[in-house]
Amino acid sequence: MHFNSKDIDLYAGQKEYVDTAVVPLIELDLTDAGMKASAGASEYLQSLTVILEKQFKGRILLLPPISYARAADRSQLGQQLKEELSETAFKHVFYLTTDPKWRSIEELENVLWLPAIPTGDMDQSFKKSVMEDQLRQVLPLFTKEWTHHS
Amino acid sequence: MSNNRVSRRQFLGYTLTGVGGFMAAGMLMPMVRFAVDPILQQHDGGDFVLTDQAVADITEEPVRVDFTFEQVDAWYTSEVTNSAWVYKEGDKLIALSPVCKHLGCTVNWAGSPDYPTQFFCPCHAGRYEKNGQNIAGTPPLGPLDEYQVKEQDGFVAIGAVRENTLV
Repeated sequence: MHFNSKDIDLYAGQKEYVDTAVVPLIELDLTDAGMKASAGASEYLQSLTVILEKQFKGRILLLPPISYARAADRSQLGQQLKEELSETAFKHVFYLTTDPKWRSIEELENVLWLPAIPTGDMDQSFKKSVMEDQLRQVLPLFTKEWTHHS
Repeated sequence: MSNNRVSRRQFLGYTLTGVGGFMAAGMLMPMVRFAVDPILQQHDGGDFVLTDQAVADITEEPVRVDFTFEQVDAWYTSEVTNSAWVYKEGDKLIALSPVCKHLGCTVNWAGSPDYPTQFFCPCHAGRYEKNGQNIAGTPPLGPLDEYQVKEQDGFVAIGAVRENTLV
């Protein structure tokens, strides 16, 4: 489900089924040199989370991407997000990011780090097959988590 | 010859009738055209999306067929790709919607190794028969929706979604 009022209405009645939150984490790099790569990574991560939501619509709530500056304190941000999510009914929380700095952050569990693929210059059908390939790598991580702790 | 002379009165009468007739026709013709327009509209094929799946390659085993169309959402136009599970029942093409009737996940044919001849929803283990019938005891409460489908130049064309007519 998406984070919009219509889906949240549905979510409110189906909390026992929608037990997983997906949080995309996106680093903003607005320097001349890094802007294009940052935009590409953001595009990639958002496409991936959208097709992930399409596959698992009835079980995950896709939150809007959390964007933060390069200098942001990741462990503090992670701590705050974790606290906010701990007050909800979600049994599982996944963080998806292309930012390698999250790999050394201890605060968050289930951070899926994915190397960004620059899909912006690909043609539509090739991009689709690349994204589906990426999705196929992520899906088992979700189903594994669900079968282990359910 | 001279007996058939047209009088001034007759000449004016003919002329005015003729001109008046043209004017009336000029006004009525577009009205009539507008009135019958809905009947003349062509409906067949307009809403079908042609896919790149050849009909000859379709078997009794459902395969995923993707189709893309433009969707306008307020001021935002986007290309939406949807898919359908298409198979043949005898000679008849059948296309089922992959959207689970429980909470809208995407179902897969033979998605679970335990049930190789059923549609399987990975979210909450919902299952459907090949014709879309939901299996009692699993979360879904209704059968999978069905797409209108037809053959167009040897390829599968997918139309509007409707309630399942097979179960």
